[in-house]
Amino acid sequence: ALSAGSRLLKGYRGGHVVIRLALGGCTNRPFYRIVAAHSRRARDGKYLEQLGCLDPLPNARGEKVAGLNLERLRHWLGCGAQLSRPAEKLLGLAGFLPLHPMTVTGAERLRRRERAQEAAVSNPVVGGSQEHGETA
Amino acid sequence: MAALGAWGRAARRGRLWGAARVLWGWRRPQPQPQRALGQDAGTAGEKKDGKPSFTDEAVQDLLYRMTGLDLQKVFRPVKQELKPPKYKLLTEKQLQEATKKAIKEAKEKLTMPPVLDEREPIDDVLAEDKILEGVETTKYIFTDLTYSIPHRERFIVVREPNGVLRKATWEERDRMIQIFFPKEGRRVIPPAVFKNEHLVTVFQQDRHEDILNMCIAQFEPDSADYIRVHHRTYDDIEKHAKYDLLRSTRHFGGMVWYLVNRKKTDGLLIDMIHRDLLDDATSLITLYHMLHPECQSAKEAEERKLQGVDLIKVFAKTESQKEGYIQLALQAYEEAMATSTAS
Repeated sequence: ALSAGSRLLKGYRGGHVVIRLALGGCTNRPFYRIVAAHSRRARDGKYLEQLGCLDPLPNARGEKVAGLNLERLRHWLGCGAQLSRPAEKLLGLAGFLPLHPMTVTGAERLRRRERAQEAAVSNPVVGGSQEHGETA
Repeated sequence: MAALGAWGRAARRGRLWGAARVLWGWRRPQPQPQRALGQDAGTAGEKKDGKPSFTDEAVQDLLYRMTGLDLQKVFRPVKQELKPPKYKLLTEKQLQEATKKAIKEAKEKLTMPPVLDEREPIDDVLAEDKILEGVETTKYIFTDLTYSIPHRERFIVVREPNGVLRKATWEERDRMIQIFFPKEGRRVIPPAVFKNEHLVTVFQQDRHEDILNMCIAQFEPDSADYIRVHHRTYDDIEKHAKYDLLRSTRHFGGMVWYLVNRKKTDGLLIDMIHRDLLDDATSLITLYHMLHPECQSAKEAEERKLQGVDLIKVFAKTESQKEGYIQLALQAYEEAMATSTAS
């Protein structure tokens, strides 16, 4: 009994408030809750307040639905909460914060990879037809 | 189609009424002094410069009088859980008080839902980020979940796969608001009943009142679907002369307003004369004159200060298409009055 009580009153050393995505849902069906919690808490553990949710799977209309309680978000940011990177990227997409630089970098990397793939696709075709022409 | 009555009842008690009064400045008509039902002669309303709107006092008064007050129909049994009936023993005075209370409640049930113009489509772009083109395959919809802002001012934005951040359309807005702030009687995706081909089936079963109650619960009053369903219902009623289905319900005023605006009042007039509702007929013509003051019968009525049957005769001669039918109906009415007074 004593150990149970002391577990409940367990304090953390250091740590700060973060706004991050807590994972929920079932197997092969994720669902994120946007949550203000202590940084030292478990990802899905006790949080201070839920500030919204995000459904990563698109619905029947092809949209990913997200809700954000902007008033409470502003309150926690005013209290000095920090944001996790996925939360920052999400808020950048939403327009609440400016676009995250990693989103831009990711987009540029994707474009570079696509261009490289297109170049690779076109080159072997050219090289292969030349060989065919020589042998035949 | 079970529990339609529950949805209709819930809609009246829902946020719509509070929101309607606050946001659209639509005020309920002031409670009228207790009049004997349908016995006043139709007093001509004042002429207004510019078109009188649905919410004017005089217009609402006329429409309300035409709606009638059939207590049996207003308080007809709605599908609820079965309870054994309760019987009370009342004196004459208590019975009168109970009837007065019932009339007051019936008046509240008969408050007309708002008639608004169709809302303008939203297409407002907040940001264009060409860099994000092709990164995502699906769009994101972000809804602001702040509890204290009214739904009309809520921010709902969509980030498209081509990087454009735009405000959501009205349909997307309605869906998101229903997902996060569900209202009783409303579905996230509107039921298939409201499609045109299925409305036909509903009309064949004479369930116009039920479909209108469902429509009020499901759609916002200024949405395109609400207006479309209401207009289809009114057109069908006018085509088959089923006016009595909506009499003594809260939809009657809206129907009369629609018909008078489009000058399709002949069938309704004939129906009223057949049922010996002369006062309603005169109210209808007064409303017509208020809305179309430039028409010939309005000018004649103003010149000669006509009342009652004469007003109907002048209207029939000048404005209506089915003049013959109206004359026949008036003749039948006058004969009936003559025989009843004679006997």
